[in-house]
Amino acid sequence: MAKLKILITVSFAILFLFFISPMKLIPIIAQEEITLTAIFAEPKERWDVLLENATKILNERHPDKTIKIDYRVLPYSDTRTQILTAMAGKTPIDLISLDQIWLGEFAEAGFLSDLTSNTQKWNKSSDWYVQNWEGGLYNDQVKGIWAWTDVRALWYWKDLLDKAEINPDELENWDGYISASNKLNQFLQKDGIQGMHLVGAAHSPDMWYPYLWMIGGEILEKRDGHPTKQNYWYPTYNSDFGVRALQFLKDQVDAGTKPQINHYWGQEFADKKFAIMLEGSWLLGQFDKNEWDTLKEKIGMIPMFPVPNSSNTNTSTLMGGWLLSIPETSQNKDLSWELLTIMVEPNVLIPMLLQQGYLPTQKSIGEGEYSAKLKSTIPYYEELVSLISLGKGRPNIPEYPIVAEHIRNAIEQVYNGMDPKQALDEASKQSAKALGW
Amino acid sequence: MLILKSFEPYLFLLPSIIILFVFLFIPLIWNVYISLHDVSILTIIKEWNFVGFKNFYNIFSDYNFYNSLKVTLVFVCGSVLLQFGFGLLIALLLNQQIRASGLFRTLFIIPWTVSTVITGFSFKFLFDDSFGIINYVIEKVGLESIGWFSDPNLAIWIVIVANTWYGAPFTILFLTAGLLSINPTLYEAAIIDGATKFRRFFYITLPLLKSFILTNLILVTVWTINFFDLQLIMTNGGPLSSTTTLSLYMYKQAFEFGYFSEGAAVGILLIIMNIAVALVYLKLFDVRNKKT
Repeated sequence: MAKLKILITVSFAILFLFFISPMKLIPIIAQEEITLTAIFAEPKERWDVLLENATKILNERHPDKTIKIDYRVLPYSDTRTQILTAMAGKTPIDLISLDQIWLGEFAEAGFLSDLTSNTQKWNKSSDWYVQNWEGGLYNDQVKGIWAWTDVRALWYWKDLLDKAEINPDELENWDGYISASNKLNQFLQKDGIQGMHLVGAAHSPDMWYPYLWMIGGEILEKRDGHPTKQNYWYPTYNSDFGVRALQFLKDQVDAGTKPQINHYWGQEFADKKFAIMLEGSWLLGQFDKNEWDTLKEKIGMIPMFPVPNSSNTNTSTLMGGWLLSIPETSQNKDLSWELLTIMVEPNVLIPMLLQQGYLPTQKSIGEGEYSAKLKSTIPYYEELVSLISLGKGRPNIPEYPIVAEHIRNAIEQVYNGMDPKQALDEASKQSAKALGW
Repeated sequence: MLILKSFEPYLFLLPSIIILFVFLFIPLIWNVYISLHDVSILTIIKEWNFVGFKNFYNIFSDYNFYNSLKVTLVFVCGSVLLQFGFGLLIALLLNQQIRASGLFRTLFIIPWTVSTVITGFSFKFLFDDSFGIINYVIEKVGLESIGWFSDPNLAIWIVIVANTWYGAPFTILFLTAGLLSINPTLYEAAIIDGATKFRRFFYITLPLLKSFILTNLILVTVWTINFFDLQLIMTNGGPLSSTTTLSLYMYKQAFEFGYFSEGAAVGILLIIMNIAVALVYLKLFDVRNKKT
């Protein structure tokens, strides 16, 4: 009897669904399910925030579809290899995050879709800072959209500088920086605190380029006479500018600063192991968000790399950050592009920037109508944003990883006593060979 | 029926042969194929041009290759000697009639059960130049901290220490099995004949352990030659490439710089080196066998 009751109830329910609300039921049955796949680099939280909102908007725009995003978040070191393996195996992936320095090799290899016509229709390129927009180009084609950026700046603990009787202004030029290093080591070493932080890790070239750029040098320059490509990149980082810039790092070592082989991305500064650190804007993320309101009372920030002397005030910095790209293997290119554009919409992007303390690549978020919330939340936001116009990206050419390795070796050689000119000349020869000269 | 009978052993071997073929020979042949073509990150989804031995030529004309060969020699000799030395010593001690030897055996095995990634990070933090506990203790006793990872002459030894800590338990386990297989009556007879501990070790233990020692040495040497996780995590090959072993050099060529075919060529050289090492060991022990 009970079974009969259930049967009758279910039958009525089905009849109700078919006859009373047919218009609603049909779309449910006909709804197309699409899963977009993506590979991103850690930290995962940033993608969770971004995609939660972006997926919701994408689904609202496509009521006839159920769109899911299956995304894998990998450690930085694995991301490149995993994307590479996926591309080589022609695995269909719809969206990837690319470090700016990978764009060249991935684009040259034919892994990335050309987004030029999409961006022309989208017509939002003028809202991007020029450097950030150009960072997504390869051979005049748009291969990625630089979603957010970071800049390196000079951070210091106010109380430690006070203790060593150092005026922060002294840190702005090379001589002052070296003498401050001596003073700090003298005052702080007994407390187990080191004065200056000097990068000796794998990314040491990144912290050398700003010195090279600010005095007029370049990492690479295009030259005629290439054996196969006629006009191609040639290493110029061993110029007099390069030697002078590297000599400044050597001077720091000679003054007693120890290059740090292991890098903890600002955690070492937040833990007060160093009084002064040149580090990316992500350093803010190493402090508790609750501390951000009062952080300026404890931590000082000078939006620059030290300049050679007070009369030369042209500073420079390195810009990093992440680009979003659509692989050639994507089977849902239009939908992926739509998702990408939603992810960089200010309303979707800003909550993530606020959470992570990243800087925008879009002027409207950096300085325009959307900047108010970021200004009031992220410490030193305006100063950091002001650095974007002074910032440069690393060359996005396929050979960059090996060139960077040569420069890293040269810096290591200098840390271990070699003459900067000799180290850079030897590295430059290897780079020229790698570039096909 | 008779024909089937004669093929019977091969039929039993067939699953193993198929597995070997699929998982060993095909990748090996594929690796040889890649090493003879121009395959890089830029050409991987395009046409692969045949370049003959050009990749091998490039490798042999690279200074870093010879440097990594030298580093490999130091790393392998240091690791194998220390792993084998400590392993044999601890195995012999555990083979004595001591209390809780089972517990000690279990404790000594623990490092081998830990992943190399964890081992690498643990030693990296222990010996960190600025924040490591070792330097902290050194400074506390009034000495100057040591640049374990920034001194090119020192860094390789820290990696060897980490590798010994990780790898010695295997030797302990392996040689313990060998020691347990020796008939105790041999020792009893030797004691009655008045043989000293020293003589018992050299005339009974060592000859009867020979096959275990040989197998252990071959395995440990081959593993150490191929090992690269620790170096990658602890030093990433630095400073000044002083910890870039051949296997790490191969990894960097292929996956950091995108020169897959040159990475494959180094892989071939590594295989040849491994086979040569195994043959040398076999030959050495064979000569000794003939002498005895």
